[in-house]
Amino acid sequence: MRVWSSEHVFGHPWDTVIKAAMRKYPNPMNPSVVGVDVLERSVDSRGRLHSHRLLSTEWGLPGLVRAILGTSRTLTYIREHSIVDPVGKKMELCSTNITLTNWVSVSERLVYTPHPEDPGRTVLTQEAVITVKGISLGSYLESLMANTISSNAKKGWAAIEWIIENAECALS
Amino acid sequence: MNSVGEACTDMKREYDQCFSRWFAEKFLKGDCSGDPCTDLFKRYQQCVQKAIKEKEIPIEGLEFMGHGKEKPESSS
Repeated sequence: MRVWSSEHVFGHPWDTVIKAAMRKYPNPMNPSVVGVDVLERSVDSRGRLHSHRLLSTEWGLPGLVRAILGTSRTLTYIREHSIVDPVGKKMELCSTNITLTNWVSVSERLVYTPHPEDPGRTVLTQEAVITVKGISLGSYLESLMANTISSNAKKGWAAIEWIIENAECALS
Repeated sequence: MNSVGEACTDMKREYDQCFSRWFAEKFLKGDCSGDPCTDLFKRYQQCVQKAIKEKEIPIEGLEFMGHGKEKPESSS
């Protein structure tokens, strides 16, 4: 099992970042996400918006990884649950893969909150747990995937910034 | 952005536009006075449910009944 975590600060207020996060795809930094669907959406009794989404992704696993896993499938599906609390100003997002589960489990959790010292900025804390199951070179693959997740996280931050800058009219 | 079901992509985009507007202009500003996207969502969701079954995507634990169990409530 490998755990990866990170913290990132956006130079924008929480509302702006959340509006961008909710419409993150498509963006040029994450071309591996090829489909996004909303499965269910509702507001709970505390006024928080719950969204369950299905993401279709092309993993872009290195060829060596695909050879070890013994699969030529590259389209995988991820299930995501997000909760937006507009009063408490907190957005929490959890995702996990629902295919390739015999081989690998990748679960991610992202939390967006206003910066405690500056309401013009937003803090994103992010963590991922990666477990490769039942095959040799498991810890090597976990390390490889942690690097991929780290690289994808940076792309994700850039994607949010890109959405904010390129969709100003829709986010204002 | 596409839908998992090719036939659902147009419905998805229409719903997404409605939702984005409601989310930014109402929900985040504390106005829970009702979701104008319900009908769009129902049609879109029926299409997606069909595509998920056809592609045998392993989704568990969701009730495909339109919106979730709790309907949007007016602010109280």
